[in-house]
Amino acid sequence: MNGVIARITLRQLLSRRRTLLLLLLGGVLVLAAGIFRLAGEEARALRFTAGLLSNLGIGTLMPLVALIFGTGAIGAEIEDGTAIFLLAKPISRATVVLTKLAVAATCSAALTCGPMLLAGLIAAGGLGEGLVVGMTAGAAIGSVLYCAVFVAVSLVTARALVFGLAYVLIWEGLLAGLFAGTRTFSIRQLTLSFADAIGGIPAAVFDAPLSLATAVVVAVAILVIATVIAMRRLGEYEISGEAP
Amino acid sequence: MSEGRVAAGEAVELVNVSRWYGNVVAVNDISFRLDGGVTGLLGPNGAGKSTILHMIGGFLAPSSGAVTVGGSPSWRHPEMYRRIGLVPEREAVYPFLTGREFAVANARLQGMAPPQAAEAAARAIGLVELEDAADRPIGTYSKGMRQRAKVAAALVHDPPILLLDEPFNGMDPRQRLHMMDLLHQMAAEGRTILFSSHILEEVERLAGRVLVIVSGRLAASGDFREIRRLMTDRPHTFTLRSSNDRALASALLVEPTIAGAALDGGLLTVRTNDFGAFSRAVSGIARRNQISLHELLPTDESLESVFSYLVRR
Repeated sequence: MNGVIARITLRQLLSRRRTLLLLLLGGVLVLAAGIFRLAGEEARALRFTAGLLSNLGIGTLMPLVALIFGTGAIGAEIEDGTAIFLLAKPISRATVVLTKLAVAATCSAALTCGPMLLAGLIAAGGLGEGLVVGMTAGAAIGSVLYCAVFVAVSLVTARALVFGLAYVLIWEGLLAGLFAGTRTFSIRQLTLSFADAIGGIPAAVFDAPLSLATAVVVAVAILVIATVIAMRRLGEYEISGEAP
Repeated sequence: MSEGRVAAGEAVELVNVSRWYGNVVAVNDISFRLDGGVTGLLGPNGAGKSTILHMIGGFLAPSSGAVTVGGSPSWRHPEMYRRIGLVPEREAVYPFLTGREFAVANARLQGMAPPQAAEAAARAIGLVELEDAADRPIGTYSKGMRQRAKVAAALVHDPPILLLDEPFNGMDPRQRLHMMDLLHQMAAEGRTILFSSHILEEVERLAGRVLVIVSGRLAASGDFREIRRLMTDRPHTFTLRSSNDRALASALLVEPTIAGAALDGGLLTVRTNDFGAFSRAVSGIARRNQISLHELLPTDESLESVFSYLVRR
């Protein structure tokens, strides 16, 4: 980790407009919880909260926030040419990648978990038998995984945002719902497994489709592979000269 | 700035370096060695200047040959950046940082402790005369100010080698002169400075030595005055339109300064070895032969044509 790179990345990622937009996105979650609470359907509170946090929180807010921070952490600097000011320094490129990843994951987790915690507390009227804590903690782990993948994708292609969106919408949104086998490689499904295990959520309220052991193994593999790819890609990164 | 910075080991050297992208050759078998002073990398846009600077700066691997800085390969050698200050051509600088924050960040990234970094940043900002705007966000800077902020960032660690890609872009004439004085002064202190430009006059004013790059090849290198003489010695070509092109061609061919004349598609093209003498004489020749001269245009005065001439020699 490098403190100077971390501070620059933080200021870059948390620009006023971007932060406001993502807070608004999180606000939708809190608003939905508020409307439910006002409707006064206490008997359905846990099931509604589980659906809200797993679908809107982990299924939508978490990947979108991570996509924006993950692809913007280093891809944007490479795109606009400012990356040269970090790379032309006596610092290993692996340090640059790890620092950027740590900042992107922290920002993603903060802007995902904050609204999820608030929305969960409102909708469930409390901690909801471990549901709120489990989902929020699971989302923190999911944010790290998503950011690792999106940082790597931003170093592989200039169209990282498109590829990221395609992964979230097509693979996770469509295929993982249709074919059980593809769920193993869905970060959303891994996150739900962590949420279930951490919160000890009653099966009647929420039951994750993947076992915790599978989730741990696949999550570690994704984190390591994505980080190694990102470090290798930045290590080989070249600035092409003008076209002859 | 400290004096006598450059030891023998601080030289920049390219040996038989080529770089290609697929089938396209960007740099073709170039060799040179720099060890002190200001050297201008001159060539038209797209000639390969930035590719050469990026290879020296460790941002491009040579396809063949060796690029070394201080005796070590520049590619994948981050420690080299302690000895190099790099000013990239691209304009983008973090718009949310002030000029001072940017310089301090660069000093900190060079490993300086906060008090030393602040001191080094203040010194570098002073060198580029950016004190008045130092505490404003770079996003509010003019192009010339951004350029100076980049130079300040490259100077914070007092490097013995400076690489500058089109450093005068966007600077006004006064800023250019100041920057040239600064680079002269730093070269006099023993630094190795390599800068690229496609503007002949910039190189003429600043560099004692030039490397002329054309189509990825080293077309000429050495003392600027010698290369400049080669450039001015080359034949110049003009196109003319007159009331009687054939008669004008005949009249011009007897002049000693005319190397040749051709009539092609109703256009008279004349080659001369003496640009000034021909320009002065042509109207008199036309008048004496009772020919009305409608148009006289030099055709090959672009920098590219000068470079092309050097390549053909």
